[in-house]
Amino acid sequence: MPAQRLKSFAVRCWILLASLQVTIVSLVLLMALVVLCTLAQTDMGTLGAVNAYMRSWVVMRQLQGIPFRLPLFPGGALVGLVLVANLSAALVRRFEFNPRKFGLWVVHAGLILLVAGEFVTGAFQVDTRMTIEQGQTVDYLESYRQMELVVSDLTDPARSEEYGIPDSRLRAGAAIPLPGTPITLKVKRFYVNAALSPRGPNDPPSLADRGVGAGVTLTEAPPAASDKEVNATSAFVEPVAGGRSYGTWLVSAVLGAPQTFMHEGRTYMLSMRPRRYHLPYSLTLKKFSHDIYPGTDIPKNFSSLVHLSNPARGEQRDVLIYMNQPLRYDGKAFYQASYGKGDTLSVLQVVANPGWLLPYLSCALITLGLLLHFGITLFNAIKRREKEAS
Amino acid sequence: MDRINPTFANPRPGPIPLAALAVAAGMLLGLGCDRDQVSHATVAKEAPAPAPMAPAHASSPQTMPPMPPGAMPPGAMPPGAMPPGAMPPPPRPTGKGALKWALPKGWTEAPGSGMRYATLTPPGGGKAEMSVVVLPGQAGGEAANVNRWRGQIGLPPLEEDALAALRKAVPSKAGPVAVYDFTSLGDTRTRMVAGLLATADGNTWFFKLVGDADPVGKAKPSFMKYLGTLHLD
Repeated sequence: MPAQRLKSFAVRCWILLASLQVTIVSLVLLMALVVLCTLAQTDMGTLGAVNAYMRSWVVMRQLQGIPFRLPLFPGGALVGLVLVANLSAALVRRFEFNPRKFGLWVVHAGLILLVAGEFVTGAFQVDTRMTIEQGQTVDYLESYRQMELVVSDLTDPARSEEYGIPDSRLRAGAAIPLPGTPITLKVKRFYVNAALSPRGPNDPPSLADRGVGAGVTLTEAPPAASDKEVNATSAFVEPVAGGRSYGTWLVSAVLGAPQTFMHEGRTYMLSMRPRRYHLPYSLTLKKFSHDIYPGTDIPKNFSSLVHLSNPARGEQRDVLIYMNQPLRYDGKAFYQASYGKGDTLSVLQVVANPGWLLPYLSCALITLGLLLHFGITLFNAIKRREKEAS
Repeated sequence: MDRINPTFANPRPGPIPLAALAVAAGMLLGLGCDRDQVSHATVAKEAPAPAPMAPAHASSPQTMPPMPPGAMPPGAMPPGAMPPGAMPPPPRPTGKGALKWALPKGWTEAPGSGMRYATLTPPGGGKAEMSVVVLPGQAGGEAANVNRWRGQIGLPPLEEDALAALRKAVPSKAGPVAVYDFTSLGDTRTRMVAGLLATADGNTWFFKLVGDADPVGKAKPSFMKYLGTLHLD
């Protein structure tokens, strides 16, 4: 009977999904992925390797002599998903209201939470940085990888209105209206990375007919693969307002010159920069310290004394951020990461991860589960021995 | 784990995992939409960064020894920094190369930053401002700069032959200043009176009075007189 066969097949699949073999294979694959990912960091950088090995469903690599990429290994996301399904199925399949097994249930729940935590991290964690010079106050974070095309209304002498279009929206042919302004930005070409050079006499005419871009030759370049490289993200855009075109401009992360146009008495500036996230509070760097061991150049400690100001909460306080002692505030962790400018500039790595507590919670659950299981087993053994003795 | 009781007690997943999946999918979709939105922020105009307190040994950030959750990529840029190959602002002329002028009565002057050499503001309110920019060499030439100015207020470019009819030469001790006067179209008209001057040391100076048509019109006579006072030591 086909129905019976189907049922039998489903039961076999269910038993396999909940089996210890799948658990072991998944754990071995995860260990292999950790090793491969660590080795790959040499060429791909930390972020590139983590994305390629740990946060992918399948590890795709291009081999010599083959023009396309091949799936070489299951990715961390796939293995993690299988492991979560396996542990969940094991829990469900072997569920038993037996107080003696309670510790093991807690251990399983902790393991599931550990893997699920990595999914939450992969999906929701946002890594940014804050760069402050001594005496400077900063109230925004900058993305490491994402860029944004910014149209700034500079008309007000004291303030500017900044409209940021994330690079993910800048695809060729897109017309992006800027809410609250009469401007629509038409994207003519977009380059994740590009090489720019002064336009030579034999170069083809630039797409740009306004601004400095008219004198620039642009060549598309492959996206930066490692942490050591920075994309020169560029776009040819045409601002249109009130039915009038303001020409085509080249906006690039490597063009420092301000490029402005005026519409109806308002001055607008076009620029490309790392994507910014504005904060309702600010940090002022009071002092950056770079301590060394006496008589050597070996770093002993890096620290930033910052003043945290959050007028909305009436909060004004000094915080010392140093190695492995981040400032945790507003769901973000501000780590001391880098420095520069003769020890007067501090770079804080800012991590916003809604699931940051999950690994701690899962480790606590696993420890608690093991202690419970040990305690219950010990209690039962003592009880049994007493019974045998009597 | 094989020690756990292998009783096939409940082969169907309960409703909680499905609900959790639905919530997670919803959060992912919501987050994905939010990440693509055009952002808007009102920010105070940035003051120039304070001068370093100690001699600068390195202009780019240096990576520290490893620390969780991972050190900053060495290539990452601080705000305001530019990737390799970017052009920094040209050096400001000093000493004999620095242009001098007599400030018109009632006008205020502030030193510029970045590409801008100085900012002058005429009296009387209204939206009008004058900028002074200096660049080495011809900076693209007169026609390219005039068309750049026209482009800034939405006017179409002109052929080089057409410039002569629009150009007004203002004599000064530093040399003749070529001045152009353009007004944009639209309901709120923007007027731009801009001039450029090539000095003997090879720099090109740009003077641009721009703003709403009325206040710029009132400030124009003073601006023209100001151009006549330009001189080098």
